[in-house]
Amino acid sequence: MQVNRRQFFKICAAGMGGSSLAVMGFSPAVALAEVREFKLLRSTETRNTCPYCSVSCGLLMYSLGDKAKNAKLNIIHIEGDPDHPVNRGTLCPKGAGLLDFVHSPNRLQFPEYRAAGSTEWKRISWNDAFSRIARLVKDDRDKNFIAKNAEGATVNRWLTTGFLAASASSNESGYLTHKVVRSLGMLAFDNQARV
Amino acid sequence: MATTIIEPGFIQPPSIEPPFLRQPNASVLFGERSRRLMSLAEGHAMADFLRFMGHLAEAQHHALNNLGTPKLPDAEQIMLCKTHGMPPLGTQTLLRDASWREGLSTILKQVSGQANAATQAAIARIQALSETELDIFADRLLSGDYAGLDLAAAPLIGAALQVYWVRLASALEPGDFPRPDVHTLCPACGSLPTASVVRIGGVEQGLRYLHCSLCESEWNMVRIKCSHCESTKGIAYFNIDGGDEAVKAEICDECNSYLKILYMEKNMAVDPVADDLASLALDILMDEAGYQRSGPNLLLFPGSHDA
Repeated sequence: MQVNRRQFFKICAAGMGGSSLAVMGFSPAVALAEVREFKLLRSTETRNTCPYCSVSCGLLMYSLGDKAKNAKLNIIHIEGDPDHPVNRGTLCPKGAGLLDFVHSPNRLQFPEYRAAGSTEWKRISWNDAFSRIARLVKDDRDKNFIAKNAEGATVNRWLTTGFLAASASSNESGYLTHKVVRSLGMLAFDNQARV
Repeated sequence: MATTIIEPGFIQPPSIEPPFLRQPNASVLFGERSRRLMSLAEGHAMADFLRFMGHLAEAQHHALNNLGTPKLPDAEQIMLCKTHGMPPLGTQTLLRDASWREGLSTILKQVSGQANAATQAAIARIQALSETELDIFADRLLSGDYAGLDLAAAPLIGAALQVYWVRLASALEPGDFPRPDVHTLCPACGSLPTASVVRIGGVEQGLRYLHCSLCESEWNMVRIKCSHCESTKGIAYFNIDGGDEAVKAEICDECNSYLKILYMEKNMAVDPVADDLASLALDILMDEAGYQRSGPNLLLFPGSHDA
């Protein structure tokens, strides 16, 4: 007796002639001819986490396209993940609009700079953006860093700059964010976008 | 403009646990399948085959209505299975009573009127078998040992075994079933699934249930997970371009297998067995794409591919 219950069931064109369908007196010929006109369409469903708030609802993102063939995946639909224990398939109106967020023509794709008093945004390079941010952060920290308080106790704090990170980050990026921000002495630090 | 004000409780709160196991609804299951097959047959390339399968499902409905509750495993046996996470109606352990053969003969009598010559001959061959030979046939079918089996007779015997196991699975209490660690086999009878269904409505909205090929119970498995090797990596979906969006093949690149997945949101009427038969073209395309099917359909047995 065959005891392997983990077998496969090969249903293929070559085997149709000997299948139960054929030996029961039905012809698979028309169906097999029809198959030649059909083409397969590949899609994926991917789990993700809503980027907006710290409730961190589970998402299912549906996309079309073949990653294996290096084609760009196109996200066609986003809904709440029914298996997720937090939101059980539901989403708030903001989360339900995520598809438009992903495909928004206004999405920021490169650093831009608006000079004080100007109304115009100018595209700048990543290098310029990093250098400018680093310069301003260092200048502000050098000017306002408090090493000791009035009683002379070491406090090493920097109160004039705050940091806003993302509530849906992974543990790893949360750890890195904390290390960077706290080692600078920064106290104002928030991970929740306050829906 | 009239506005409907909904009453409290109209929307089910998400705190209600969805059922892990959905027992078969014996009174409507085969009748609905029969109607689904008949409607799928309209304009289908395999219309005559699907119509006959519709008659077969109708005969299953008839046989099920004419039979009472079969011999159930006793309370001690059920408890033992539950303690060890084993299916209480396991195909390898359960001793079938004679009523499965009564169901078979009712089915054969009812479908013979609609059967073509080849199927008539298969019916005659089954009717000529002794009780012992029938039981051996059933055992081989249940253990997946199809080599050399009379394939024209197999779907008819498979149909009778489905009726028997549906009678068993629908007669037990929800608390009789274990919640095993292995999610790839039916928690009621230990069989492989035919397909999975993404359900709609209430707490089951959007949840995926695997549909047992034998006892027609359905059990929950999270989505985007291989129903064969439980991998969550390399899962993708294939459907026929421009075809039915309610039927897809869920593939796993880790074990190279696929099983069909039906979306009730795309079509409420989908039936795992009926829609699986009607989407044979998808099986052939998946085979050509290099994927192997992981679950059987007891109404269609593949021939040897090197025949």
